[in-house]
Amino acid sequence: MNLASLATRNVGRNRFRTTLTLLGVAVAVVAFVMLRTVISSMEVAVTHAAHDRIGIRHKVSFVMQLPRRYIDTVRQTPGVHSATWANWFGGKDPRNPREFFPTLAVDPASFLDVYDEVAVSPADRERWLADRQGAIVGDQLARLLRLRVGDTITLSGTIYPGNWVFHVSGIYTATRRSMDRSEFLFHWDYLNNALPERRRDQIGWIIARVDDPSRASGVSAAIDRTFDVQDIQTLSMSERSMNLSFMGMMSGLLAAINAISGIILLILLMLFGNTMSMGVRERTQEYGVLRALGFLPKHIAGFILGEAAALGLAAGVLGLALSYPLVQYGLGRWLEENMGSLVPYFRIETSTAAQALGFSLLLGVASALIPAVRASRLTVTDALRRID
Amino acid sequence: MSSPEESAAAPMVELTNVTKTFHRGAETLTVLDGLSLSIAEGSFEALMGPSGSGKSTLLNLVAGLDRATSGGVRVAGQDLTAMTDGDLAAFRARYIGFIFQSYNLMPVLTALENVELPLLLTKLPSADRKRRAATALRVVGLEDRADHYPRQLSGGQEQRVAIARALVNDPKIIVADEPTGDLDRKSADQILALLEKLNKDFKKTVVMVTHDPEAASHARVTHHLNKGAFQ
Amino acid sequence: MVPVSYSVRNLMVRRTTTAATALGIGLVVFVFASVLMLGAGLQRAMGRSGSADVAIVLRAGSDAESSSGIELPAAGLVTASPEVRVRPDGRSDAVGEVVGVLALDRAGGEGMSNVQVRGVPDDVYRFRPSVHVVAGRAAAPGSDEVVVGAAIRGRFRGVDLGQSFEIKKNRRVRVVGVIEDRGSSFESEVWGDIDTVRAAFGREALVSSVRVGLRSAGQLDAFKRAIETNPQLGLTVKRESVYYEELAQGTTTFLTILGLMIAFFFSAGAMIGAMITMHASVAQRSREIGTLRALGFSRRSILASFLFESVVLSLAGGVVGALASLAMGLVRFNIVNFATWSEVVFTFVPTPSIVVSSLLFAALMGLLGGFFPAVRAARMNVLDALRA
Repeated sequence: MNLASLATRNVGRNRFRTTLTLLGVAVAVVAFVMLRTVISSMEVAVTHAAHDRIGIRHKVSFVMQLPRRYIDTVRQTPGVHSATWANWFGGKDPRNPREFFPTLAVDPASFLDVYDEVAVSPADRERWLADRQGAIVGDQLARLLRLRVGDTITLSGTIYPGNWVFHVSGIYTATRRSMDRSEFLFHWDYLNNALPERRRDQIGWIIARVDDPSRASGVSAAIDRTFDVQDIQTLSMSERSMNLSFMGMMSGLLAAINAISGIILLILLMLFGNTMSMGVRERTQEYGVLRALGFLPKHIAGFILGEAAALGLAAGVLGLALSYPLVQYGLGRWLEENMGSLVPYFRIETSTAAQALGFSLLLGVASALIPAVRASRLTVTDALRRID
Repeated sequence: MSSPEESAAAPMVELTNVTKTFHRGAETLTVLDGLSLSIAEGSFEALMGPSGSGKSTLLNLVAGLDRATSGGVRVAGQDLTAMTDGDLAAFRARYIGFIFQSYNLMPVLTALENVELPLLLTKLPSADRKRRAATALRVVGLEDRADHYPRQLSGGQEQRVAIARALVNDPKIIVADEPTGDLDRKSADQILALLEKLNKDFKKTVVMVTHDPEAASHARVTHHLNKGAFQ
Repeated sequence: MVPVSYSVRNLMVRRTTTAATALGIGLVVFVFASVLMLGAGLQRAMGRSGSADVAIVLRAGSDAESSSGIELPAAGLVTASPEVRVRPDGRSDAVGEVVGVLALDRAGGEGMSNVQVRGVPDDVYRFRPSVHVVAGRAAAPGSDEVVVGAAIRGRFRGVDLGQSFEIKKNRRVRVVGVIEDRGSSFESEVWGDIDTVRAAFGREALVSSVRVGLRSAGQLDAFKRAIETNPQLGLTVKRESVYYEELAQGTTTFLTILGLMIAFFFSAGAMIGAMITMHASVAQRSREIGTLRALGFSRRSILASFLFESVVLSLAGGVVGALASLAMGLVRFNIVNFATWSEVVFTFVPTPSIVVSSLLFAALMGLLGGFFPAVRAARMNVLDALRA
C-alpha cells in the first residue's frame, strides 16, 4: 500500500455514484470524440492534400468553363511536370436519385498520371483506356451503388441533359488520403463527342503536377499571368489552398461544432466537480483522522487530487473504449458509405483520442482543485467534528 | 527526533493555566478556564465530566490537534504553543497514538493496511512497514484478521485495529477519546484490558476521556471536569 | 403530501451541488434549444424562399438553377401558358432570371467563398413583393448597379453599400442597395441587371429558370403536364416550395443527423447528472426519510416529493439554458448548400415553441433522472432509514 493506492481506492467507494459519473463522462467523451472526428475527417482533404498539385479554374466561378486549348499552354509552362483536366458532370443514378456522388469526365491516361495515388489493377486500367464508354468507380461508391466490373449503368445528367450509358471497367482504391474513394470517372471524349458543336471543347478545370512542390505558388502565379491577357482569366492555387477554401465555406459549421465541443468539456467539469465535491464532503471526517495521525494538508490535497485523476483517467479510458466501436465502426462506416464525398475517411485520429483522454484527466483534476484546497484548509478539530 | 530536553523527572504532560475560547458569531464561549494539569510518564489517567465540560477540548490540546488560546502546553518535553501546523503534525506522528470513539478506520483499507497507515509518514521501506504493522496487530490479537476490511469486523475488533494503529509508530502517549463509547460491555472490557496492557507492558502514558465510571476505574488517576475547570 | 417547500429548501441547502447540476443541465438545454433554433433558421432560409402557388421551370435533368438553361423562345412559351396569372397591366405574372455563382474574397481576408448571383428583370419586385430594399435604393435598369442581400452584406470584399466588386475581369458592379426577404435565401444573393449578369457568365440568349405565379396552387398539375409533355421544350416543372426543399435536402439531412446525435448524447448526460445529484440527496437524507415515514407520510408522497425536487432542479437549469439560448438569435451562421455549392447565411430563430419544448425537455430529464433515486427513497424500510 502507498499514498497513491489509498487515493485510487476511494474512487470505488460509492460504487453507484462512481458508475454513473464514469458513464456520464464516457457519454460526453464519445460525443466529444465524435464531433472532433467530424472536423478531422473534413480536414482530411486539407491535411492530406498532395503538395505537388495545383488546380486551375475560371477566375469568376467554378461553374464556368475554360477552352480546351488552355491545357496545352499549362503543359508548356516551365515547372509543370504533367497536367490533366476534368469536367463536373453531375450525374445521378436514377435507381438511387438521393445518393450524391462526384461524377467527373476525365482524360484517363493523363488523369492516372497526375493522380498517381489512384490504385487500379492493370487489367482494369487496360479495359478502361480501351473502352470509350468505360468508367472506373471508387470502391466506396461501388459498394453503395452495388456495382461490379462489367456492369452497365445509366446515369442521368443534371448539367449535360439526357441518359448516359457507361460500362464499369474497374474499381479503384486510393493509396493516399488525397483521393476521394467515392467518385465516378469516365472518358471526357465520350462526353465531348456527344455535345452539340457550340458546347464542345470546354473543360471544367485543369490539374497540374509541378516538378518541385516548393515552387508551386510561383508556377501558379506564372500560369495566371499567362492567361491574364486572354479573354478568360484563370485562378490557380495549390490543392491544399483549394481544399482550405472549401473548408472556409464550412467555417460556420466548424465553428458551431467547436463551440459544442467546448460546452461538452464544461459539462465534463460539472459532472466531475459534482461527484468530487460530494465525495470530499462525505469523507471530511476521514481527512480529520488522517490529519490527527500526522498527515499534512498537502497529503490531504494529494489524496483528493489523486482520486480525481484516477476518476478522470478511468472515465477517459471508458469513453475511448466506447468511442471506437460507436464512432469508428458504427457511425463512421455509415457516414463513409452514405456521405463518402463529404467525409471520405471518418476515422478517429490518434490526436483526437489523446485529446479526449487528456481533457478527461485534466478536467477531473481541475474539478477537484476547490474541494481539495477547502478540505486541506480545515482545522483538524473541525474536520473531525464535521459528522459527529 | 528525540529531544535533549526530555528527562525522566519532567512530567509527560504539563498544562499550565490553559485557557481555550471559541467564537460563535458575536458570542465568546470559554471552554477551558485557567486550567493546569500534570501527568507523569507511565501514568494512566482518565478525564470525566458531563457534555460540554471541556474534556474533549483538553484531550485535543494534549494530542496537539488544537491550540490553547493562552497558557503553556508541554507534552513529551515539547512546547506545543510555539509550533507551526507542520510541526504539530510531525509531533503527532512521532509522539501520539490516537484512539477515537467511532474507530475511524479507513473503509477502503484492510485491517493490516489501516495499521500501516501512520507508517507511510516515515521513511521505512515497504517490507519493514508491513512487518511492524503485523506485529502491532499481533499485540491486539487480530493477526488472523489482517486481510479483513473494517465492515467485515465487529465493533470491538475495529477498535482493536484502531489501537494497533495507535501503537504502530511507537508513540509516547496514547490519547483515547471515549474508546468504549460505542461498544457493549464485553468488548469494552477487552479494550480497557488492552489499554492497561499498553500502559503496564509497553510503558505508554495513557490519557482517556470517558463518561463510563467502569472505564475510569481502570485508570490510576481520574480527573473530573466541569465547565472548564477541575472539581 | 410532503410540502413543496421541503423539496425546494433541500435544494437550497446543498447550494454548490444544486448549482453544478443545474448549470450542467442548463448547458444541455442551451445546446438543445440552439439545435432547434438552427433548424428553424434553416427552415426559414430554405423554405421561406418558396411559395405553393409559384412554379419554377428548369431544363429537364437540372436540379439547381445554376446548372439550368432555357432558351428565350421556350421561356416565352412558358410564360404565355393559360395557367399563369395575369397582372393588371396585362403581362404574365412571371419572371425569367439568370443565375450564376461568383467566387468572392471574404471581408476578413481568409480565403474565398461562393455567392449566388441573380440577373433579374426590371419588374422582379412586382413578382416578389416580399423582397424589400432596406438600405440605399433599387438598381437602375440596364445599368452595372446591383443590390445585395442583407445576410451577406459586408461579409465579402466590396459587397457593401457604396462599394464595388468585379463580376468579370474589368467589369465592376456597384452596390446601391440592400434587400431583405424574411430571412429567405435571397438574402444571401447578389441581384443585378439580367443583361449584365448574362454577359458576365456567358449566358447570352438564355435564362436559367422561369418562375410563374399560378392562377391557383391547384393549377400546378395542369401546368406541369402542359410543359413537361412538350418534347420540343425539354423542361421540367416543380412547385417552388418543393424545389427549395429538395435543394436544401443534403444540407438539412447532414445537420439533422448531427443535431439528433448531439441531442441524444446530451440528454443522456443531463439525465445522468440529475441522477447522481438526486441519488446523493436520497442517501444523505435517509434518516429524514425515515422520520417522514415514521410521521405517517406514505411511500407515494415520498416518491412524489423527490421527483418534484428533481424536476425543480432540472427546470432551474432549463430556464437558465433557455434564456441563454435566446442570445443565439444574434448569431449568424453560414453554411454551404451542397446542391449549389454557394453560401447561405441564416440566423438562429428563437420561437416560443422552442422555449417551451426546451423547458419540457429539462423537466423530462429531471423526471427520468430522478426516478430511480426517488423509487429508492420510497422503498426504504422505516427502521433501516432511521438507524442510518
